[in-house]
This record gives sequence, C-alpha cells and structure tokens, in this order.
Amino acid sequence: MDLLGISTALSATAVVLLLLVFYGGTVYMSMRIARKEENADSYMTAGHKIGFGISAASMTATWIWASSMYASVNSGYLYGVSGPIHYGLWGALMILFIYPFGKRIREVAPQAHTLAEVMFARHGRSSQLMLAGSNILGSVISLTSNFIAGGALIAMLSPFSFIQGVIVIAAGVLLYTLWSGFRASVLTDFAQVLAMLGAVVIIVPAMFFFLGGTDLFVSGAQNLTPQQQSFFSSDAFLNQGAPYIAAVLAYAIGNQTIAQRLFAVREDLIKPTFITATIGYGATIIGIGMVGVLALYAGIAPMDGDPNNLLPQVAAEYLPGLLVAVFFIMIIGSLSSTADSDLAAMSSIAMTDVYGQSMRSRGLIPNPRTMLTIGRVTMIVATVAALGFANAKFNILDLLVFVGALWGALVFPVIASFYWKKVTNSAFTVSVLVALAVFLPTRFGLIPDTGVAPWIIEALAVVGVGVVLGLMVFGFFGTRAALIIGGIAAVVSAPFVFDFLRDYDTLTASLVAYAVSTIVCYAMSVRSSMEFDFAKIARRTADYDTEEVAEALEEESEEHSESVSAGRDARRSSDDDDDKINV
Amino acid sequence: MSPILLTIYVLIWPVIVAGTLAVIVRGFVKEALEAKEEGVPII
Repeated sequence: MDLLGISTALSATAVVLLLLVFYGGTVYMSMRIARKEENADSYMTAGHKIGFGISAASMTATWIWASSMYASVNSGYLYGVSGPIHYGLWGALMILFIYPFGKRIREVAPQAHTLAEVMFARHGRSSQLMLAGSNILGSVISLTSNFIAGGALIAMLSPFSFIQGVIVIAAGVLLYTLWSGFRASVLTDFAQVLAMLGAVVIIVPAMFFFLGGTDLFVSGAQNLTPQQQSFFSSDAFLNQGAPYIAAVLAYAIGNQTIAQRLFAVREDLIKPTFITATIGYGATIIGIGMVGVLALYAGIAPMDGDPNNLLPQVAAEYLPGLLVAVFFIMIIGSLSSTADSDLAAMSSIAMTDVYGQSMRSRGLIPNPRTMLTIGRVTMIVATVAALGFANAKFNILDLLVFVGALWGALVFPVIASFYWKKVTNSAFTVSVLVALAVFLPTRFGLIPDTGVAPWIIEALAVVGVGVVLGLMVFGFFGTRAALIIGGIAAVVSAPFVFDFLRDYDTLTASLVAYAVSTIVCYAMSVRSSMEFDFAKIARRTADYDTEEVAEALEEESEEHSESVSAGRDARRSSDDDDDKINV
Repeated sequence: MSPILLTIYVLIWPVIVAGTLAVIVRGFVKEALEAKEEGVPII
C-alpha cells in the first residue's frame, strides 16, 4: 500500500506490537483494580471521591480526542497562526466554565450519577429524557468518530485495512472498560494522558526542527495570506472562533462525560481539577495545531486535498520511525481515552435514567446487580452500534457540529433549574422545544433573506450573545455581574450582528437557540408559583449500592420467598380442596 | 510576527504541556503513596 507516496510508515509487525503494548497495558491496569463483585455506584462514579491526580488526568484525556487534534491542525493550516488558538482555547474554556456550575450541581446532588438523573429529581420525566437523549446522541457520535479516526490512522500508517483497524480499536476499548466501567476508564486515562501529553512534548519541537526550524518562518512567509499571518485574523475568529465561543457551555452541558467527572471527583477538588484540565487540554490541542501552521509555512499540500489527512501525513513524511510510533500511540491514546469515557457515560445513563430512576419512581428498590448487567450490556450494544455507523462512513463530525449547536437550546433551562426555584417542568420542556423549532429553519438557511424575518432572527442572535456571555459570567460572579456583562455584550455586538450575521447560518442558529430557550423559559417561570425545595434533589439521587439497600433488598427477597411459599401452601391446600371436591 | 517570536509561539505550548503533566503526575504519585499508607485502593 502506498497511500502517502511512500511505503507505509509502520510495518504490520510494528503496528501489532504497538497495539498489543497499548491495549495489553490498559487491560492489565483495569484487571489490577477489578473486583469480583463490582459496586454499581463505583461502576458509574467511583464512589464520588477520586483524588486530584487521576481526575485531572481523566478530564484532560477525555476531552482530548483524535478529532480535536486533527481539527486543530486543520485550523492552523486553514487560518494560519491564530487558527489553533481559535480551536483549542474555546475548547479548553468548555472545561473551565462548567466547573462553577458543577460545584452547584454537586451541592444540590452530592451522590448523583448523571445530569439527566438530577433533572428527573428537579423536574420529572420529560426534561430527563431530553437531557439523557442528547447525552446518548453525543456519546454515540463521539464513539463512532473515534472508531473512524482509529481505523483511518491504521489504514494510513500500516498495511492493515480501515475496517480491521476499527474492529481492533473497538475490541480493545471494550475489553478494558467492560468489567469495571468508569473506574477502569479513569485509571487508564492516567496512563493515556502520560502517553498523549508526553508525545506532544516530543513531537511538536521535533516537527518544528525537521521542517526547517526558525528559517522556515522566513522562507515560507510567502505561502501565507495577510489574514493567515495575522494573530488577530477576523477570518479565523468568524469561521472558527465565534461558533466555538457560542458552543462553550452547550458542549459542556450536553456531555455526560464531563458530568460524570464532576460527580466522581472529591467535591473540594473540583476547582483545581478543572483548571488543570483546562490548561492541559488547551496547551496540548493548540500545541499540536502548530503542526498545521508549520505545514502551511512549508507549503505542504494535504493528501487528496483533505486537511484531515495533514497530521498523519506530515508525521509519516517528516518524522523518523521511532517518532512515528510515538505519534501512533498519541492518537490511539487520545481516541481510546474518549471512547472509554463515552462507553462509561452511556452505561451510567442506562443504569440510572433507564432503570434506576424508573424503579425508584414506582416505589421499588433498584437491584445493583441488575444495574451492573444493564451497564455492561449497554457498553456492548453501543460498541456494536458505533461499529455499524463507522462502517457506513458518513460524515460524523458534521453531525456533531449540528448536535453541538442544538445543545444551546438546553443550556439556560438546565442551569436555571439548579439556581432558580421557580423554573417548572413545562417551562423547561416548552422552552427547549420552541428553541429547536426556531433553530432548525435558521440552521438550514430556510429563513428568507429579505423582509422582516432576518432582522427578527438577528435581534434574537443579539440576545443570544448577551445570554452566552452572561451565563459564563454568572457561574463565577453571580446574577448582577451576569446581567451587566450580558447587557453590554448584547449592545456592543448589535451593530456587528444586524445585516451581517445572516450569512453565517451555524453561528446565528446557535445564538438563536440560546436566546429563544432563555426568553421562553424566563417568561414561563417568572410568574409561576413554584417554590422548589432543592433539598429534595439529594434525597432523590442517592447512591444505589449501599449496605442499607442490600439489607432492604434482603428483607424484600425474604418477604417475597415467604409470600411465594405461602402462595405455594395456599395453592396446595386449594388443590387438596379440589381433590376433595373431585372425590 | 518576527521569526523569533513565531519560534517562541510554536515552542511555548510543549513547555506548558510538560508543566501540566508534571503537576498531574505529582498529584497522582502523592495520592498513590497516601492510599498505600492507608492500605486502601487508589480508586
């Protein structure tokens, strides 16, 4: 195979050895912590008391995925020196801006397992379904995308085919995650973050020197447009940065992998964990994006004209064999650490939101053993589904961008529900549905370009700008500061939005989703008589696998066996009666 | 930007990554030692 104009960068033997070392190591780690009888709560949140080192590593590793590395390189290649900043910085801020809300969520639901479970305790079934549904959709897309990235990498760098690569990656990830769930995911994340961040520390400087070092910035300057040379490129901001700023809170709220870590880390360590992960993610992704900037200066054309091929292509062409192996492990580590988190996220949603809460709402005690079985079956089903989607090879990242914008409709109703006693279930549900109804035609350019409609949409986008920045400030500084900053942001942005933003459907639709859900949710809640008692949430989201639960289940089974034997006796005596009658 | 500034701009990120990695590893080792002392699993 000669995909890169050179023989394959890694031999079949080298790839098999690297995969054996990587997945062999992760399976060994997960076996070291495996218990014969896993605890259902630990399977989902590791007992809510993970320390700083593991949780910071896990949050960093989970948020860094293969697609984020490729996209940052792509951004550097397309938009020049500021491109990686406009990809990596806003992605990093997704981690930073969620932590104040995370502290509040832990305060009201210290033993929760999923965000949807907390929504069920706060509102009821419809808001839970909306959040759980969007979480599952996001995780399936992410899982599929990571399998595709793994298959493509193996096909590109070795003699193996795409589908062989996908199957090996899927089997490897499932193998080490299946038994211990989230505990295996976070522990192996530590090893994976060592591999990923360690590789970036080596590969970026190596790439810089192999491509020509400082001289490259002199000899290659003519390959860049003035916009690409500018650190303050408006092209980069409008096409890459702004849509990402709008998505900062949406991705964080719509993603169960973040929520799971918020519920798992020791409560007093949320802040240092998330700040460290913000810096770790940002520096890693911006750093690897520099490969795209260097490729632009060097005048390298991406294979098949697809910038997504640029990172493995440059690695294969310019790095020596040993560093190609390091690069290979970096990408495999990034996609595996996110894929195992997606599996753990989906299993916890199935265990908690599909089984646990539905049992509790009927006054029954969920059986922790049944929960574990449901969690493991969910992982297997999700892996098989993602394999099917990966084999279909449709553009999964476009779908993720679409879903990410869609999540904007959930942000205000979810956040307001944790702070404001007046938000009702109907306000939550109606506001999200109305926001989606306005989002979809805006996103697909169905709003006419003439008349009053585009002006109304742009007015909503102005409100959306205020909502996005206001919510970011609210988490750190409270309502007054949020209203001031949100108001100023809306006023300042208005002249730039009107008669201009209509050409940017994705950004406009995302801002409109924020604005509409906020306006409707506020309007429906402000006059409601609801005075929700937040203490109820903690009671409704307690752990499932405790000694008290075990005792209650034992009593229940004793009562059940007594009633069964009483039933048998009754049947026997009635049989006897029948016999008597027959006689 | 001058070539020297661009060089610093490209190479500063791996330095920040290395620093973050050191903080994470230090935290992990500290917790692993504490867990070992107390005779409890790290996770």
